[in-house]
Amino acid sequence: MNLVDILDEKLIKVQLIGKTKDEILDELVRTLALGKDLNKHEFEKVLLAVKNREELGSTGIGKGICIPHAQSDVFDKISLVVGVSKEPIDFDSPDNMKSRLFFLVVAPVSAASAHVEVLAAIARSCSSSVFRRMLEKCKSSREVIQLFSE
Amino acid sequence: MAVPFKNILVYIDGSEESISAMMYGILLAKQNNALLAAMYVVNTKALADLVKVGIFLDLEKNEYQRDLQKDAERYLKHSQKLAKKKEVVVSCITEEGSAHKIVRDYIKANDVDLLVIGGVSAIRSRRDELNSETDRMLRTVPCPVMLVREDEDLWESFE
Repeated sequence: MNLVDILDEKLIKVQLIGKTKDEILDELVRTLALGKDLNKHEFEKVLLAVKNREELGSTGIGKGICIPHAQSDVFDKISLVVGVSKEPIDFDSPDNMKSRLFFLVVAPVSAASAHVEVLAAIARSCSSSVFRRMLEKCKSSREVIQLFSE
Repeated sequence: MAVPFKNILVYIDGSEESISAMMYGILLAKQNNALLAAMYVVNTKALADLVKVGIFLDLEKNEYQRDLQKDAERYLKHSQKLAKKKEVVVSCITEEGSAHKIVRDYIKANDVDLLVIGGVSAIRSRRDELNSETDRMLRTVPCPVMLVREDEDLWESFE
């Protein structure tokens, strides 16, 4: 699976405004809710799933990257939100580095295979420091999609 | 290499393309009176990598592995149903590991003379070029490979 195939301009936010971990998670899920037209109940369900996962252990993986993720049957296929924050956010990452790059991945239980593939693809893309720097500099959703397409 | 083919393997990964590949494999096996096997590989390598980089916890890895195993059962059961419609017998195999390696080793060990797969992904970025399991299979297996595109007529013939 290619990340480019599931990236959606409506689900990319290059100027996240949250200042704390909770605010960022809320903002990412809100972006997803708006892009996918979720109702209040669905939004809360997804947010709870994401927060429950975060409670088990931080999804900050180091090098300024966070990949919050959850399974939720609110969706019938996998969804990806990409967020870039101008200000680094403390996400309890194992390297104690604050994070600016966020990838929220939510998928139904029936899409476990796609879920694993997408998470692996994100990890591969972000293993490059050049890619990370370029993503941090993106000024629009279109630039983010362009970067992933290169 | 036998022509017509006598020992066909279809790789199933749950995608619609791989189901099309299964249908094609069934029709080919019937036409050639060939042995037919369908394989689903639970990608435990990807799961282990996700734990290694800190994206998954061990608990999650186990949950997702169970989900993937259920996927394997579901898709292989579906493959059997499709095969039954055309009165073809299919051996269903579930394996764990790195898909392209498992398929390659199976082909060598079982004298498979045709691998049928559901197409390779469009290369949308240089980063993706070598990471698709079906791409890697195409490059490394020692037998002919048939890539099946989606075909509505094919699906209709199984309804």
